[in-house]
Amino acid sequence: MKTLADLKAIREKAQHEMKLRNSNVRIKVIVGMGTSGIAAGAKDVMKTFIDEVATRALIDVVVSQTGEKGLSSMEPVVDVIEEGKPRYCYGNINSEIAKRIVVEHIVNGNPVKEFLISTE
Amino acid sequence: MQDLSLHLTDIIENSARANCDLISIVIGIDETQNKLSFEIIDNGVGMDEETLSSAQNPFYTSKFERQKKIGLGIPLFKENAERCNGSFLMESSIGKGTRLYAEFEHNHIDRMPLGSIEDTFLSSIIGHSDINFFIKLFHISQNKKEKVFILDTREIKSELGDIPITWPDVVIYLKDTLNEGIKKIELEEF
Repeated sequence: MKTLADLKAIREKAQHEMKLRNSNVRIKVIVGMGTSGIAAGAKDVMKTFIDEVATRALIDVVVSQTGEKGLSSMEPVVDVIEEGKPRYCYGNINSEIAKRIVVEHIVNGNPVKEFLISTE
Repeated sequence: MQDLSLHLTDIIENSARANCDLISIVIGIDETQNKLSFEIIDNGVGMDEETLSSAQNPFYTSKFERQKKIGLGIPLFKENAERCNGSFLMESSIGKGTRLYAEFEHNHIDRMPLGSIEDTFLSSIIGHSDINFFIKLFHISQNKKEKVFILDTREIKSELGDIPITWPDVVIYLKDTLNEGIKKIELEEF
């Protein structure tokens, strides 16, 4: 069973890593979690992003969720925001595509073009 | 919505949009009463009487910028509860917050499965890292024995100090804690 004591160990390890690596937020991933997004599978997409970012230990990536933005027919919708770069908006995402976005776009810097809705 | 965890995600999102800093969620099975209940309380902006009653109407949305003036989140959840001999209640006051309570007959044939509520909690905690979550899950069995699981992100955050709750190892910790807790109290029925 996990206890709060485990957290202490995690904290110490994290503090050490923070000194070695830059942990400032480099990329923000925002999953649209409105009613239509959820009905279209946004919850699984969110879970995939959280899992992938955690297991790959991407400490400079933050995954968050927001309400609808009026693109119901293209849900689930995901924004990838990197400072100094255009805002990439993906549509009709599922878990498989979410994994590709993590590997190809977030890790390697190549947006997954076939699922892009807009770049602004 | 295919399961209750999706409704829960939706309701939590409403609370998050109400600018709250604490969401308290109590979910439990009471076999002695044949009940499955959900209580979600936030300390957000709250709603006046009119908005509160409108929120249960599918042809209402609080999102003014929207072209299609519908909002199905709450009406769908309400309908599902009532279809299962359950009940649905929403209370709110301006500046104090909102409380939503939904109850289902646990073994009702139309009751949707609970689904993966552990994913709902993890997504909400990570996706709204600035909001605190108090989660209490309980299961009262036929012989009146109660099993309880509690997760309070305020405790976790104070233990973490300057490390964000979104830190990869913390996410894995939260995931394991939630999975273990839900398994321990046997909230999953499948």
